[in-house]
Amino acid sequence: MSKYLDLSINEINNLLKSKEIKPIDLVTEAFERIENNADLNAFITLDKEGALEKAKELENKEVDNLLFGMPIAIKDNIMTKDLRTTCASHMLDNFIPIYNATVVEKVLDKNMIIIGKCNMDEFAMGSTSRTSYFGTPHNPWDKTKIAGGSSGGSASCVAARLVPLALGSDTGGSIRQPSSYCGIVGMKPTYGRVSRYGLVAFASSLDQIGPMTRNVYDNALLLNAISGHDNNDLTSSYNEVEDYTRLIGKDIRGMKVAVPYFFMSDIVDKEIKNNVDDIIKLLQDNGAIVEYIDIDYIENAVTLYQIIAMGEASSNLARFDGVRYGYSCDNPKNVDDLYKRTRQEGFGDEVKRRIMVGSYLLSGKNATTYYNKALQIRDDMRKSFKKAFEKYDLIIGPNTTTVAYNINDNLDNPSQTFLDDILVIPVNMAGLPGMNVPIGFNKDHLPIGLQIIGNSFEEAKMYQLAAFIEKKLNLDLMPKGVK
Amino acid sequence: MNDYKTTVGIEVHAELKTNTKIFSSSCNGYANMANTHVNVVDLGYPGTLPTLNEEVIVKAIRAAYVLNCHINELMHFDRKNYFYPDLPKGYQITQSRTPIGVDGYVEIDVDGVKKKIGIHDIHIEEDTCKSIHYNNSSLLDFNRAGVPLIEIVTKPDISSSKEAVLYLEKLRELLLYADVSDCKIEEGSMRCDVNVSVSKTSNLGTKIEIKNIGSISNVGLAIDMETKRQIELLENDNILHEETRRFNEKNNTTVLMRVKETGNDYRYFPEADIPFVKLTPEYINNIIKGIPMLSSQRREIYLERGISDININKIIQNRELSDYLNRYLDKGINLVIASNLLLGDMANYINKNNVNIDDTCFNESKFIEIVNLLDKGEISSKIFKEILVDLFETNNDIKTLLEQHGISKISDNDLKKIIKNIIDNNQDNVLEYKNGNERIFKYFVGQVMKETKGSADPVIINKILQEELSK
Repeated sequence: MSKYLDLSINEINNLLKSKEIKPIDLVTEAFERIENNADLNAFITLDKEGALEKAKELENKEVDNLLFGMPIAIKDNIMTKDLRTTCASHMLDNFIPIYNATVVEKVLDKNMIIIGKCNMDEFAMGSTSRTSYFGTPHNPWDKTKIAGGSSGGSASCVAARLVPLALGSDTGGSIRQPSSYCGIVGMKPTYGRVSRYGLVAFASSLDQIGPMTRNVYDNALLLNAISGHDNNDLTSSYNEVEDYTRLIGKDIRGMKVAVPYFFMSDIVDKEIKNNVDDIIKLLQDNGAIVEYIDIDYIENAVTLYQIIAMGEASSNLARFDGVRYGYSCDNPKNVDDLYKRTRQEGFGDEVKRRIMVGSYLLSGKNATTYYNKALQIRDDMRKSFKKAFEKYDLIIGPNTTTVAYNINDNLDNPSQTFLDDILVIPVNMAGLPGMNVPIGFNKDHLPIGLQIIGNSFEEAKMYQLAAFIEKKLNLDLMPKGVK
Repeated sequence: MNDYKTTVGIEVHAELKTNTKIFSSSCNGYANMANTHVNVVDLGYPGTLPTLNEEVIVKAIRAAYVLNCHINELMHFDRKNYFYPDLPKGYQITQSRTPIGVDGYVEIDVDGVKKKIGIHDIHIEEDTCKSIHYNNSSLLDFNRAGVPLIEIVTKPDISSSKEAVLYLEKLRELLLYADVSDCKIEEGSMRCDVNVSVSKTSNLGTKIEIKNIGSISNVGLAIDMETKRQIELLENDNILHEETRRFNEKNNTTVLMRVKETGNDYRYFPEADIPFVKLTPEYINNIIKGIPMLSSQRREIYLERGISDININKIIQNRELSDYLNRYLDKGINLVIASNLLLGDMANYINKNNVNIDDTCFNESKFIEIVNLLDKGEISSKIFKEILVDLFETNNDIKTLLEQHGISKISDNDLKKIIKNIIDNNQDNVLEYKNGNERIFKYFVGQVMKETKGSADPVIINKILQEELSK
């Protein structure tokens, strides 16, 4: 079996340019790997026919950029025209979009090849991908473990090297947490950096699409490709798109790095803390300044998240009513019956739970008591982060309190799983960019990740630090159980 | 029965006259076919996001200005959440916390007494789609989904059906002249809901809403009928409950639609898909400067230029006509004659043939020339009538038209000759005139007109005739 997909992006690009390989070789290899590792359940829908066709089409085109011909997987809450997009829900299990998300257009502009749609938590609601209507994706490092969520399928397929690149979405850690569990690089860009047009909305003020890749360089390249203002998304930024690879390889001497006390408190697993401590030492040894700081309200982030995200979700998911598209119940007696049964039968438990809680939180006086109050505290937290960035270049800490856990753990405790995201949620609240870079393994050889948080639109600096750590550690990130 | 006080509040929805919809690039305009002015955003497809049409901001600021509202400089939207088949997203994007305009008024003239009707607020929102009930099923037309609306909510300042009608007429005129909406109530681009209550005390009575009344005069009728109904109920010791009714045009009654549910909870919260828009004072001022001349100013100018009250009212009722007349404000022509032509023979032709004057051959320079000829008495209105059709339908200049109709302008000398001739041939009548029968003078005028085929100016005829007859 060929191993082109294990080569670096530059090596693949050279082979394509010299015509030693064709895009179809990459696509064929990706599908071989996917078929051999179907037990990971990383995909909901595959598009072999479309991908092969696209690969053939590219044979006549000039290899015009580094991402040319590269296979990519797309999280299944991002609209792909003519390719089923389910949000891992029964509600949309037969939904064929009639338009492409802006990021999908951008991916296609770079002549990347879409392989399929990744498994996830239903409507991105969860941190284990277990709420998927299509079964749970598995962690390639240990298939009895979760891949995390909600972008679990994207993390799993990149970690197993089935595809080199994937897109995920991150509302409360959904790119960083599964990236950490699966040992890959995942970036949640600054809110507004990447267009949300075509991303099925979960919590509009928090959602952001981002790249999930094998290494830091690939990640920065993919971010280059998908960033930029979009006239279809009023919340997308006019900030100029810079080359996010430009600081990779630069020295980190003199860089000022902060670690929030909360990130290294007792809520975090000891092995993870030790690994992060080692990184702090590594940075100090290489001329960086590392100091501990406090961020206001960071410990309340999960509560704020639950109020804001569920409130917004209850409204965003109102459109799934059985009238125009998606699942519609059989023989409704009247309009009320249509609504009730469509939503009762079409949504899974976690989604219904969040819609109910969200509706309650926005009802009557609760909107002022909870939602508006949460927005105020969120603003204060954002200001506290901004203040930290007046003094520091970056903030670091772990992404998760534990490593990937058993697929059957915490199943009957829906509120417990929110705590999986206690360290990643503050970033969404503040609209900041946050990423995961793998920094080691625990005693069971499950990946541990470092979270790097940057100031708004300073993704390049984050990649600089991440690439430095990646190079210094030089970890073997190829899971052994993959066929 | 007379000691009841009626209190009315009115909510008007006006469609804004924009090229595209409020949150998408779909056309906002008349469509022959259902569901043709529609895209994924209007349908509320998963993943779609709203954009914001700047035309809507402009028109809404104009409305806020002409209704004397305070304009909120920080513009934002909220979501109003409820389930209904005509609501594609399951929420309506509207303005709850930050309406574009607040605390304004509309001044009306009630039998010569000026009264200010307070405006509580004006807010921007999107229209829903249209449900069409057909053969036991409901069909949805999304052409209307996302059409921009402003909702104008009065304070409970209206105390009679007469005031309500005056308010609506004035509101319609203001919005029409500020180019905000075409306000065609019959076509649904202006919709009125009224809240009516009656009370014997200073406390307001139970508020009853009457929805979607089809014309301004019916608003007046509906208020009268509803007031009467409520008083009768109260006089018979009934208790009123808040409810929504509709007006039945066939028998002029109001009919119950539904009793208001308590605790109708729309779960309003800020729309995160649309960032706050800061409207600077400069931006707002520029929009205000761009407001076309309002009806009040037009009335003043027309009055100054000598147009009669009746004609002024007729002109103001027809915005297009007023706009046309205004082109000549600085052309130094007699506006009284111009307005007479426009409201008379020209209006007849235009209405009969259903044309736009600018699509005809009757261009501005011809109009100016005609008004001046009439003003100086060089042609009579009879002659104008004679050449009217040709003015509209041919490119010939006025001189040619007059010639073609055998009407050449007669010089004073020629006229004198003709008059002398007539006098010479009618000595009997001259004698009778000189003996004091003044009616004979009219006979001579008639003869001259006949001879000149009406092409001579009656004023000049009179002058020459008098000279000649007194010799």
